[in-house]
Amino acid sequence: MSSFYSESTFLALIILSVVLAAIAALLFGIKRHLTSMNQEKLGVEDEPSFYASKIKPVIDGWNPTIATLAIAGILLVVLGAFGYKFGMDEVGAQQGYAPTQPINFSHKIHAGQYEIDCKYCHSTVEKSKSASIPSLNTCMNCHKYVKADEKYNGKTSPEIQKIYNAIGFDGDNMEYIKDYKQKPIEWVRIHNLPDLAYFNHSQHVVVGKVECQTCHGPIQEMDKVEQFSTLQMGWCIDCHKERGIDSENNNYYEEVHKNMQAEGKDYITVAENGGLECSKCHY
Amino acid sequence: MSSNKYWKGVEELEQTQEFVTSNANEFSEGLPLEKVFANDDSTRANRRDFLKYFGFGLGAVTLAACNKTPVRKAIPYTEKPDNVTPGVPLYYASSSVSNAEGFPVLVKVREGRPIKFEPNKEASYFGGGLDGLGHSAILSLYDTNRLKGAMVAGKRKTVAWADFDKEVVSALSNVSASGKSIAVIKSGNTSLVTNQAITDFGAKYANVEVISYEPISYSGITRANNTAFGSAVIPAYNFQNADVVVSFGADFLGTWISPIKFHSDYSKNRVPKDGKMSKHYQFESLMSLTGANADVRVPMKMSNVGQHLIALYRELGGATAETGMEVAGNNIRQAAAELKAAGSRSLVVCGSNNEEDQLLVNAINVMLGNYGTTIDTTNYYKGQSADEASFNAFVESAEAGKYGAVITIDANPSYSNIEAAAAFAKIPTRISTSITLDETSEAATHIATGLHPLESWDIKEPYKGRFVLSQPTISPVFEGRHSASSLLAWSGVDVSDKDELSYAYAYTKSVFENTVDGDFNKAVENGLVEKISAVSVPSLNVTTGGIISDITSRKKTESELILYQKVGVRDGAYGNTPWAHEMPDPVSKVTWDNYLSVSMPDAKSNGWENGDVMSVSTSTGNIEIPVLIQPGQTKGTYGIALGYGRILPENVTNDLKDLGKNAYPLVNNKEGFADYILNGVTIEKVEGARQYEFGITQTHYSIEGRDIIREASLDAFRQDPKAGQHVHKPKPISLWDDYDYSKGHHWGMAIDLNACTGCSACIVSCSIENNVPIVGREEVRRRREMHWLRIDRYYSFEAPTKQDLNLSIVHGGDQTVEAGENMSKEKVMEAYSVATDSHDYYQNVQVAHQPMMCQHCDNAPCETVCPVLATTHSSEGLNQMTYNRCIGTKYCGNNCPYKVRRFNWFRFNENEKFDYHFSNDLGKMVINPDVTVRSRGVMEKCSFCVQRIQSAKLTAKRDNRKMKADEFTTACAQTCPSNAIVFGDLNDANSEISKLYKNDRSYHVLEELGVKPSVQYLTKIRNKTETTNQIAH
Repeated sequence: MSSFYSESTFLALIILSVVLAAIAALLFGIKRHLTSMNQEKLGVEDEPSFYASKIKPVIDGWNPTIATLAIAGILLVVLGAFGYKFGMDEVGAQQGYAPTQPINFSHKIHAGQYEIDCKYCHSTVEKSKSASIPSLNTCMNCHKYVKADEKYNGKTSPEIQKIYNAIGFDGDNMEYIKDYKQKPIEWVRIHNLPDLAYFNHSQHVVVGKVECQTCHGPIQEMDKVEQFSTLQMGWCIDCHKERGIDSENNNYYEEVHKNMQAEGKDYITVAENGGLECSKCHY
Repeated sequence: MSSNKYWKGVEELEQTQEFVTSNANEFSEGLPLEKVFANDDSTRANRRDFLKYFGFGLGAVTLAACNKTPVRKAIPYTEKPDNVTPGVPLYYASSSVSNAEGFPVLVKVREGRPIKFEPNKEASYFGGGLDGLGHSAILSLYDTNRLKGAMVAGKRKTVAWADFDKEVVSALSNVSASGKSIAVIKSGNTSLVTNQAITDFGAKYANVEVISYEPISYSGITRANNTAFGSAVIPAYNFQNADVVVSFGADFLGTWISPIKFHSDYSKNRVPKDGKMSKHYQFESLMSLTGANADVRVPMKMSNVGQHLIALYRELGGATAETGMEVAGNNIRQAAAELKAAGSRSLVVCGSNNEEDQLLVNAINVMLGNYGTTIDTTNYYKGQSADEASFNAFVESAEAGKYGAVITIDANPSYSNIEAAAAFAKIPTRISTSITLDETSEAATHIATGLHPLESWDIKEPYKGRFVLSQPTISPVFEGRHSASSLLAWSGVDVSDKDELSYAYAYTKSVFENTVDGDFNKAVENGLVEKISAVSVPSLNVTTGGIISDITSRKKTESELILYQKVGVRDGAYGNTPWAHEMPDPVSKVTWDNYLSVSMPDAKSNGWENGDVMSVSTSTGNIEIPVLIQPGQTKGTYGIALGYGRILPENVTNDLKDLGKNAYPLVNNKEGFADYILNGVTIEKVEGARQYEFGITQTHYSIEGRDIIREASLDAFRQDPKAGQHVHKPKPISLWDDYDYSKGHHWGMAIDLNACTGCSACIVSCSIENNVPIVGREEVRRRREMHWLRIDRYYSFEAPTKQDLNLSIVHGGDQTVEAGENMSKEKVMEAYSVATDSHDYYQNVQVAHQPMMCQHCDNAPCETVCPVLATTHSSEGLNQMTYNRCIGTKYCGNNCPYKVRRFNWFRFNENEKFDYHFSNDLGKMVINPDVTVRSRGVMEKCSFCVQRIQSAKLTAKRDNRKMKADEFTTACAQTCPSNAIVFGDLNDANSEISKLYKNDRSYHVLEELGVKPSVQYLTKIRNKTETTNQIAH
């Protein structure tokens, strides 16, 4: 695939199409010239074209200044709208970002097929701001035994072998190699928040009771993880405006709950509880 | 009572032209507008230039926007340690590293990186605070100048430890065989592990001599105690038991012995309770931090301290014919009367290093019965105790060729002792265990690079019977080795790690079991084991007659030079930690420099001005140094701070390179002890020298003499708890709609001006917690310091005493001023100037300190003017600053009445010009990951440590509980050794802050503006009675 679309081929194709286009233009020019010569010879009157008879008189009737301004205005609005949309949605947004990882780890197999709880590997999600990528010893809890060798003629799966190489495990003899110089796996970070925004997983998972999938999408169906949400501020705010806080079951919100009931409300949103204030996320 | 006129610096008081101009401007440098609008075509911007720049700008922005998002890596642990949760800090009990004392602290560790020291609140004996230098010292761990491993002279690269050890062992064996001695020079600190290793080492080699060395000597006290009581110790002082404190030149809140502990003890009696507070007399020559806090501060020449002590001794009933009164004056009588009344609840301390002075102090304290109450010689202080006599003897023997080898451990004598370097050069094998190239290790033949205290195990004993443990909080950054392990390796012990435990651990544990005993794991967890003995009262075994006649026969001189320590830098051992230098001196407000401090009368009579370069000559040497005029300083006295003029490695390129002048060579060792007071000093202006400009924050952010500080005398306070508060309070009409803060949290702060001493620990703590950049001397000169929290220091004139006024009548003046009245500057100056036109009145100033940070006004003026809503208000009463919205108009800074907003001029974390720590990979390790590192072009300011607020709230929510009162606090409040700052939830009836808000002393600064600040100050009460100045002759 990559060889076909190599740069030199692409360049050759461009040159070819330019040459062909030039030939085509030349041929059209000759044809038109020949036609007009023929008509001149035959003495046939030139029938006025559609443009000359119908459109040109209308345009001639326009005030040139107003016309220019109007056209420029329309262009500006269209381009501006496009630029605004582009700036808001595209610049810096990495929705759909799915880089190739050093190990072809499949969430579809682990979380989907085997239904391993997310929190088994992302064990700090309830305690810390980061859900954390599991350390290799977590992988080894299972992969000390699970080698997927049935698919590879009795040999350890090459992907699992990568774990063994990193942590220093001898898959054939089922033992750790002594004094092994361990090499950590360098995963490519998919979800990148700017440094100026503070996000805490435990806040959302434990206190807010948000499901992993709400932000990360159907992760259990992804062979290769991609960024599901835009992770833009507007996206955060939309959710904070919609979701209510669980004031009933959390003693921290005792006072909030009382005030809410006094006001005759069923629930209050995160936003109503101050969840849109700048310093809740920016400090 | 607040009729005092306050001023921040002499420039402000005298309204010099320079001050008036610079004060009127927002920035120290104006925009070069004249240049732009000049008719000179060469500099004028024209249409073509405009198009060029516009086009370039547009193109550059487009190009910059085309940048591809960088690929970021996420690298997890291969094997995660059980107790580490990425994103959650761990706290380890350990000991402080500065001043070699070893105070209990907590080390905050994120993902294996120590990022901050926090006080260990459970170690109540030590006060539960920390000073600025203590905080700053964490950077010594991430110092780019640290050595990477063992090194041999000549080679500037590391060698393998095995080869290194072989070489050292053969060198040491040769010394032993030749019959020469091996000198081990260690710091006077009390590391039990190092001490044991030295003992073990001494058992292996013949003729090992151990010499303790400290750059600053307190041997006057130890020698006096040895003479008087037969025990050569520095006692423990318990200021909390003293109702009357009289100090003669001892800066016990700033630099004397153990100021962090003294701070908290002292402040316990400084907040008036039931109309009572302690009384503090300070007799001193320079204006020290302690003097700035005294109720009665008396200018005195330090060379006359003996006369003062004699006078006090006699007034207290000591038998002597000498009065000393002609020198000491009336204040001694008054102090004596109050001391007598307080009896054993009093304390007299003295900063002199002369044994005779200290013997007299001992005699006075014995007469008052202070031993056993305020002075404890049983559980005495063990840090910084080294007798310079033993080091002087070492120098002499070294010159005579006695030693074949010298090993220095945690000591750097070549910097702080003028004779050390020459003596070292006479010894063929010189081994250092330093972690950086310092003055001593630079000249060493072998450097057995040690470990930073945060990387190693240790047991210290700052006070007898109080053991402080430290544990590694980071794996060694470089290939160093614990100095104890090095000594043992040379004694033939196998120091390699066994069972995955370091040798140092096993050795430390065995030392613990042999000396302290008890549960080692528990001790490591708590960081402190206390096994103190019942206090016994020593009996005085000395007659004062000889001492007194010796003192009276001392030669009197016109002028004296005092070598003192500055609060931020102390002895200079941690001079490579830039935070300590950026912290303004609590009194002079100078950053990054030492200077010749002179009194106003001397400056006026000689025509000296700030920044004039002076040549200072004493009997011990000569030094050229710029002048700084210090109000409050005694006429005829001069001061230079020690701890500066470090010779730092070549690769240091920033302000740390050229840091003041080294004054240690001036210390007088001729009398057999280190004398820091030099009599007979000549000072001449160096003609033609360029005027030196200090990086001084003193007059930055002036607030135009408004009613900001409020104070009252204790008498007035007793009669009226609201004393000092009776100022005209207008009822302002609000421009804003009121917001109801009664729901949820409402964060607030209270600052007790009585407890605050101005020590500035909070400034450094705040800077580290909030990633506040260090800007350096040059930027401070431009008034661009970034500190979110500053401490304003105000001077005001003390009222002249009856005595002064009588004097003036003698001089023919016609007085109408009442003595004892707090007076305006004009009145005081008028009163004094009748007596003399020598500006002597500048010796009698009183000082008030006021921490100032964002006041989080409910009606914040900054919020109103921000064009992009980058600063807004939260429902919890916080004034929020959103950096990513800020476009840097600085309108908010303009409109802030408290001048607490700081504009970030540079990208400090990427700019090599500011290579203090922020811009190098090693130094970046200290950055707090929970706080944004700000880029240039934004405003920033105190956030009330919102990251801590959010974190505490989240913990409560996760634990499914309500927040507890005072379960967390801000970085400044946490570190305050005197508990002057209290932070909390005003809506929580149980919180300390909500109680303090009801205190009669509380007021808001500039409340007449109606901005409703969330920071409340408590009126300063000085323990001065109206009769203070009227005690009969």
